[in-house]
Amino acid sequence: MNGAKQFNKMFVAQLKMMFREKQVWFWNIFFPIILMVLFMIIFAGGGDDDFKATIAVSEPVQTAASEQLLGQLRQVPVLELKNEEPISKEQGLEWVKNEDVDALIILPESENASSLQLIVNMKNERSATTQVVSGVLDKFIQQANLAAAGAQPVFGMTVSSVTSGEDDLKYEDFLLTGMIGLSIAQGGLFGMVDLVDMRRRGLLKRLRMTPARMGLYGLSSMLVRLMLGIVQIVVLSLIGVYGFGASLHINIFSLAIAFFGGALVFNAMGYLFSSFSKTIEAYMGMANIASMLMMFLSGVFFPLESLPVWLQPVTQALPLTYFVDGMRDGLIYAESVTNGAFWLGMGIMALWGVASFLVGAQVYKTKSISEEAR
Amino acid sequence: MPVLEVNHLHKTFGAVTAVEDISFSVEAGEIFTIIGPNGAGKTTTLEMIEGLQMPDRGSVAFGSLDWKRNADQIKMTIGVQPQSGALFDLLTVEENLDLFASFYPKATPTATVLEMINMTDQRNKHVKKLSGGQRQRLAIGLAMINDPTVIFLDEPTTGLDPQARRNIWDIILKLKGLGKTTILTTHYMEEAEKLSDRVCIVDQGKIVSLDTPAALIDRLTKEREVRLSLMDGEKAAEVTEQMALLHPAVVRANREGPTLKIWTTQPEETLYDLFGFTKDRGFRVEQISIREMSLEDVFIAFTGKEWRD
Ligand SMILES: Nc1ncnc2c1ncn2[C@@H]1O[C@H](COP(=O)(O)OP(=O)(O)OP(=O)(O)O)[C@@H](O)[C@H]1O
Ligand SMILES: [Mg+2]
Repeated sequence: MNGAKQFNKMFVAQLKMMFREKQVWFWNIFFPIILMVLFMIIFAGGGDDDFKATIAVSEPVQTAASEQLLGQLRQVPVLELKNEEPISKEQGLEWVKNEDVDALIILPESENASSLQLIVNMKNERSATTQVVSGVLDKFIQQANLAAAGAQPVFGMTVSSVTSGEDDLKYEDFLLTGMIGLSIAQGGLFGMVDLVDMRRRGLLKRLRMTPARMGLYGLSSMLVRLMLGIVQIVVLSLIGVYGFGASLHINIFSLAIAFFGGALVFNAMGYLFSSFSKTIEAYMGMANIASMLMMFLSGVFFPLESLPVWLQPVTQALPLTYFVDGMRDGLIYAESVTNGAFWLGMGIMALWGVASFLVGAQVYKTKSISEEAR
Repeated sequence: MPVLEVNHLHKTFGAVTAVEDISFSVEAGEIFTIIGPNGAGKTTTLEMIEGLQMPDRGSVAFGSLDWKRNADQIKMTIGVQPQSGALFDLLTVEENLDLFASFYPKATPTATVLEMINMTDQRNKHVKKLSGGQRQRLAIGLAMINDPTVIFLDEPTTGLDPQARRNIWDIILKLKGLGKTTILTTHYMEEAEKLSDRVCIVDQGKIVSLDTPAALIDRLTKEREVRLSLMDGEKAAEVTEQMALLHPAVVRANREGPTLKIWTTQPEETLYDLFGFTKDRGFRVEQISIREMSLEDVFIAFTGKEWRD
């Protein structure tokens, strides 16, 4: 019938509405840009290309074990030793105090002692660098322990965290892709406020008085959101690449799948919030809580490894973790769609989407339309 | 044959009975007005007729069509202006009309609608920037975009100034000129009187009275309140009151200081005779007034209650 005409008009109308809503531009484009630029400046050391922590190593007693550890530490790519040969503890502490180095690592103090010490400046105790260095060291020790217990030959380990394993992965790349993922996710979480607003103002009811097909309306609105998502990817990428020297290795298939999948999932979550919300404020509250929680627990700004271990199960449950991972697979790892881990992540993420949608639809169904617009 | 027939509609929300046994039928080309105070059940009644709410009991039929079997057909033949307006604020006037036009297989050209609602000049204005009256006109324009035969207008003039209200009346009368059937709700008796072929007064979900405005007003105007203030003190007023009470058309009277209130079935004649009397006695009249009849009076007359808001 006139489905195509209807769809066209609905799409164009919603595109215009999005264009004209200043809030949309601010929260979906400018805010992520500002956030990304701030993080880039603060944590990427202002143009220093590779993520590198400068450390000093002190070796109170020289033993076979400590020599071996030292040798391995030298090989961790993100750690740059300020001194080629170990220095005294006092000298190291001095450097830390003056912030000449990001951290001091003190190798075991005696033949049978087995603990390493990591010393950082109090000022930087919570900084990203500290987190990363301690993360790396943690991994490093685990591997060393394995080796010492004979579970693995010698110290022939590869440190397999994001920050240290990928030689050409820079913090800029990491942050850029994290921000892209976050802004698309937020677009979905917050975007469904339109639905609350339309219901509140009686527009949904108004459309239902006409033979308009609500399914087409929903579809066209989804398409407009996807377009906004593409704008987000392009704008953030341009700024990240040209402004901060990030580099992308794109696999278009995995990128497309992660992007469409993620956009759908987070819109479904927004839809769920909208079904519970009588007012815009209520909706925004829910969206804010969800977005804040996930923002810091999903490896957007910092590698997950830098979070405390007890938090790991939480991060492993959150959809944003897998979305950001998926986006990174498509944008910087050029991971092909044949990768099993990619699909596992997408699957867990999709579960969230399906569950949110089903619950939301159920809540909407039990609500009478007569409750609208009063 | 009526275009709309409503039979024994009932609707309750929890403990609130919003609509209780409302029945009426509307003929083609009529302007049918439902008038009543806040919460009387006007919107609920309309929404049940418009297919937005399921009645607990009762039936609605548009000719041979009903909501169960012919929902899409009914939607094509009716146009609705909801009480809440419900416009896309970020679109222009014309874009709103265009969008709604696309929902229907056949639609009136937007230019024609713009002219009908007298908004050709504002067609490129964003709805956000329209005045209350303009918004209401656009909402009516959207209700007529599919060239419907029956149009529902839920309080199109509430909250508007007298000029804007009159503009809306013009549109409603133009629609009547086109042979449309209009079902209108309002709080204003004057509006009902001016526009309607028939008026249905509702209160607390029930029809209090249903008739042509002339018949309703006729019943009401059996007694009018006339006020008369005399400049010559209470004594003069007292004498005049006694005189008035002797007049055959006067039902009762009372007095507060020099001011008389007289209820009469023939205000002109009563005043004529009273003036004759005051002139003979040399009393000077400071002020006279015949109180306007308002919805309040209609309401009070038919329900015996004060107007509640
Ligand atoms: N969805 C609902 N839930 C609960 N109560 C309702 C609902 N809809 C209407 N009511 C109640 O039903 C009664 C009739 O409401 P309705 O909106 O039909 O009145 P109205 O005549 O249109 O009033 P107004 O002039 O203020 O528009 C009111 O008491 C109202 O509070
Ligand atoms: Mg109402």
